Amino acid sequence: MKNEPQKGSGLPMIIIGVVLIAAVAGAYFLYNSSQTPANRNTAAGNKNSNRTVNSAAAPLGANPPNMLGSPTASVTVEEFADFQCPACSAVHPTMKEIQSTYGNRIRFIFRNFPLAIPQHDKAYEAAVASEAVRMQDSTKFWDFQNKLYENQQAWSANPNYRQIWEGYVRDAGLDVEKFKADMAGSAAKKRVDEDIQRGRGLGVDSTPTLFVNGKNIPMDAINVANLRQVIDAEIQNAIKTQPAANSAPASNSAANSNAAK
Amino acid sequence: MDDELAEQASPASKLPIIAVMVALIGLADSVYLTVQHLTAAPVPCSIISGCETVLTSAYADMAGVPTAAFGAAAYFAAFSLALLAAFGNRAAWMLFGVLSIGMAAFTLWLLYLQGFVIGAFCQFCLISALTTFVLFGIAMLSKFWRRVVSPSFHF
Repeated sequence: MKNEPQKGSGLPMIIIGVVLIAAVAGAYFLYNSSQTPANRNTAAGNKNSNRTVNSAAAPLGANPPNMLGSPTASVTVEEFADFQCPACSAVHPTMKEIQSTYGNRIRFIFRNFPLAIPQHDKAYEAAVASEAVRMQDSTKFWDFQNKLYENQQAWSANPNYRQIWEGYVRDAGLDVEKFKADMAGSAAKKRVDEDIQRGRGLGVDSTPTLFVNGKNIPMDAINVANLRQVIDAEIQNAIKTQPAANSAPASNSAANSNAAK
Repeated sequence: MDDELAEQASPASKLPIIAVMVALIGLADSVYLTVQHLTAAPVPCSIISGCETVLTSAYADMAGVPTAAFGAAAYFAAFSLALLAAFGNRAAWMLFGVLSIGMAAFTLWLLYLQGFVIGAFCQFCLISALTTFVLFGIAMLSKFWRRVVSPSFHF
């Protein structure tokens, strides 16, 4: 080694090559080790889902809530989210898949929980806007939500975000003038505030926060496979405690948990 | 390996060797950040926000390439140039100086974004800022402190 560092020797190039290979290999290793979160997530989900909140003690939130599925379903999935939150946007496709997978077998409730932090300067207004849309057509609430999440980066950093939202409203075939009036009014704000109150009552301090029958599902466990497992288990529970309830979900959930693996 | 080289190197060639090691730290850090950006299941937004806000912000990639990947490329280039300089290549040391100026300027921009636009700092991004400024400092020291400079005449 002593005499090797000579001008023109290949040593620098060898070291550079070794470092390049090490960097790529390190990246590959890191990438792979964070790509296998399935087991960890499930564990986290099971561990943390023990944290059950006492929903009864919390304020009820906006009533009627923004809901999909059946109001009498045995499993309630309740999401607290913020339209300006990148993580909420990221889990949105998962939420949609859960909604379409389970349909009327669950009751899916969306709660506005805009965080009062500087990065989320438009979050509260976005929540109010979603409620203003609901005042015209409650089914369009979900379309508007899709638009907000899918175009989050476009409006989040745009000073003309109001015009962008009005564009979504117009595209949905709704009355833009009424939307503006409803946003300015107190009814939409009241619903948002009620949802926020409920969130605080349940101890929500970050978004998205998800509860399945009152059990908190931590962020790193929010994926389709794990949620299906948790929801299927809840459906099974409901069947056990109420044998008279419909038996169809039993076979479905068996199929689901297989599919999840 | 680096220690061995450092031991037998003359004081004049210390700066490139320090630069090599600092660039390696920067490289490891930015590789970590790149992978984090690509794989991180987004972490929830919290009343107390942090790194994830930065790594998931609109500025976390440029034209689809993670900003951290540019950092990794820059650190690798800085490492290679500093290493060549440590082995006596003066042109490489000059290029290293130019590169470190560009990196420092870009880092200032990223710090501005974190402080004033995103409103959150990210620990590993700050480590990167630190390593860049150290590299920049080494380059400036080398440029203006003539006697310590002129790496590796002895080789």
